[in-house]
Amino acid sequence: MAMAMARSALVKKYLRVNVGVGVGVDSSPFNAIRRRFFSEEVRTSFKSEVTDRVISVVKNFQKVDPSKVTPNANFQNDLGLDSLDSVEIVMALEEEFGFEIPDKEADKINSINLAVEFIASHPQAK
Amino acid sequence: MAKVVPTRSEVLFLFRSLLRTARQFSDYNIREYTKRRTIDGFRQNRTLSDPDSIASAFSHGEAQLEVAKRQAVVYSLYAPKVKSIMDLKPCFDGFILFCFIL
Repeated sequence: MAMAMARSALVKKYLRVNVGVGVGVDSSPFNAIRRRFFSEEVRTSFKSEVTDRVISVVKNFQKVDPSKVTPNANFQNDLGLDSLDSVEIVMALEEEFGFEIPDKEADKINSINLAVEFIASHPQAK
Repeated sequence: MAKVVPTRSEVLFLFRSLLRTARQFSDYNIREYTKRRTIDGFRQNRTLSDPDSIASAFSHGEAQLEVAKRQAVVYSLYAPKVKSIMDLKPCFDGFILFCFIL
């Protein structure tokens, strides 16, 4: 008898689904939505992806020395490019991210940081 | 006849417009040629300092932009039915990979 009880307790312990954990935090749908749409984590990961893609675009540009490309590099001061090259890089970024950057904004982009800021905040960038 | 010397931003605007127009060509060869020709032309005239020659180079560029815009429309009516192999490159790589797996 005692053995049977011990065995059933063991089986129950094995089969029991642990309900307590996780439910408290995520029970309300509001929390679920907040987690889904306002997560800092998602935004920062998109931003780091943008940074990687921008850097690879700039590295692929013929005149750039790939070893000099850093996330803080300025096109003209650090990479030795001129204004024509900056225009070409912005055009290449447009092709990479599949949207058009207006001329006014494109003129302002003169470093990798600024490019990442602008693209990550743009809703059409993909 | 004294021509108006374009400002720096006007030159960059022309450069960008030419590159944007170049993108619209459906034929790979024409698209790449237009892009290459634009970049080479601006590089070549980068060191001009004489106001007259700057102005005439700029107006030549503007005329070429009009030609490119018109031809982009005309060529879009007669787009090649078969794409250039260069346009198919990603698919082609995928195909090779596919064969390799088989």
